[in-house]
Amino acid sequence: MKKRLSHIVLLGILYSLSSCSTKIVSTNYYNINKNKLLVIEQSYKALYKTKPFSAAFTDRLLQTVSVELITDSLTYIYEMGVDEPRLLDTLSQYGYQAKPIYYLIKNMQSISCAWINNFDYYVNDHQHRLVLISIKPKLIRYLLSPPKYYILAYFDRAQSFDEKGRLLDGKRVKRLRQLNGQTYRKITDRICFTIAEKYR
Amino acid sequence: MVAETPPLSTTQQALQYLDVHKIKDSSSFWIHVKPKLFTENLRLNITDILSFYPGRSTNFCAYGALSYLVIHNDPLGYVQFMTELFENGEATFHQVFFKPSKAVMLSAGDLRFKGVLDIRHAEQMWFLTLADHFKGYLNFFNRNYNPGDENSFWAATNLAKFNRMVKKITPYKVSCVGSDLVRPWVKDMTAYLQKRIKNGITVLYINNRIIHKKNHDKIKYSIPTHYVILESIKLENNLVTLIYWDYGNRTQIQVSPKVLRKIIFGVSQCTLS
Repeated sequence: MKKRLSHIVLLGILYSLSSCSTKIVSTNYYNINKNKLLVIEQSYKALYKTKPFSAAFTDRLLQTVSVELITDSLTYIYEMGVDEPRLLDTLSQYGYQAKPIYYLIKNMQSISCAWINNFDYYVNDHQHRLVLISIKPKLIRYLLSPPKYYILAYFDRAQSFDEKGRLLDGKRVKRLRQLNGQTYRKITDRICFTIAEKYR
Repeated sequence: MVAETPPLSTTQQALQYLDVHKIKDSSSFWIHVKPKLFTENLRLNITDILSFYPGRSTNFCAYGALSYLVIHNDPLGYVQFMTELFENGEATFHQVFFKPSKAVMLSAGDLRFKGVLDIRHAEQMWFLTLADHFKGYLNFFNRNYNPGDENSFWAATNLAKFNRMVKKITPYKVSCVGSDLVRPWVKDMTAYLQKRIKNGITVLYINNRIIHKKNHDKIKYSIPTHYVILESIKLENNLVTLIYWDYGNRTQIQVSPKVLRKIIFGVSQCTLS
């Protein structure tokens, strides 16, 4: 009888832990890191213009980076340690500005940026671009609860938002603009954020 | 590299058809599809057969792989089908009759934030029409299209459905190993795939979450999520280098033979003989 009761209690605890949602500890992340984030965004944009690429940290400790080197004919994906010499070698081999990209990756690592990418989107059939930066915040996670990431979207121009601060598809439309299936909220006129279970 | 196979029609024939056949200024069936973008898209598809782009965060990757097979073999058939579908709202492709639902017709040309798919109106029509027509068990609970379903199980494709689509709308014969849940029992996967690509077009059904991680959790679901066309594979210093096509571009990745075995759930070889 006692054994059965302890099993029920244990199951109850497991259930309550799994039903709790993940809590983000670092709620003021953007304000604390906004200057560094701006530097990352600007330097990434400049480097992307010379030769397109994206970078993502694929491990929990943000020590392993996956770089996607985009050429006209082929996208090369390499995964390696941030401090491995072959990172610089690989970037140089494909004609990238190895040192500036390395510093960008180190900068990302220092403020827990998990991913940076440049996306195309279309307004009136014309292409525009935005930079997405994912942040791995400090979390309190319960058993089976999903991870959470801040994702910041940096647009080139001011965007439209509804009265609740949600990103809209344009000035004259009420449709929400979703990026990767996520609704974004306003930080500034051209920067908005969402919280997602995936960093890319 | 992929073995060369004699096509049913050529790019030249498809271009000639587009030059001669004047597409209507608008379609009462596809009200959001712009004829100019539609025609430009068809020209791009037939002149650059790698251009098909199933869109960001959609479940259209299987239809992307299918498009590669279609356009590789019969660009004229594709263009004729698409123009007929645009003008009449229904059309037949390789003896399969397609009549998309009204919801699909309303959404084509209006998909947003899917990358360059936003302005590829012919591809939007094509992918939505295919997903609307072909059904498998993954589509059981969501059979009718609602806006946004391009990202949901409505558009998902299991391995048997993929093979069935290939058999129905292309002249290819399909031989397949693997399944939706259990990996194929192949001793030396690299050697096996090297043999397969010599004799036809090889489609891999893979677990993309392992090679394209989206979170930092150590435990990953062991299920396939993505279709790619394998173009080349080689083993050097215990590292497998793969080049595959998906999402309008070729990608090269390097994985260990162990990871390669872990990610592959299905191998469909498509041959003309």
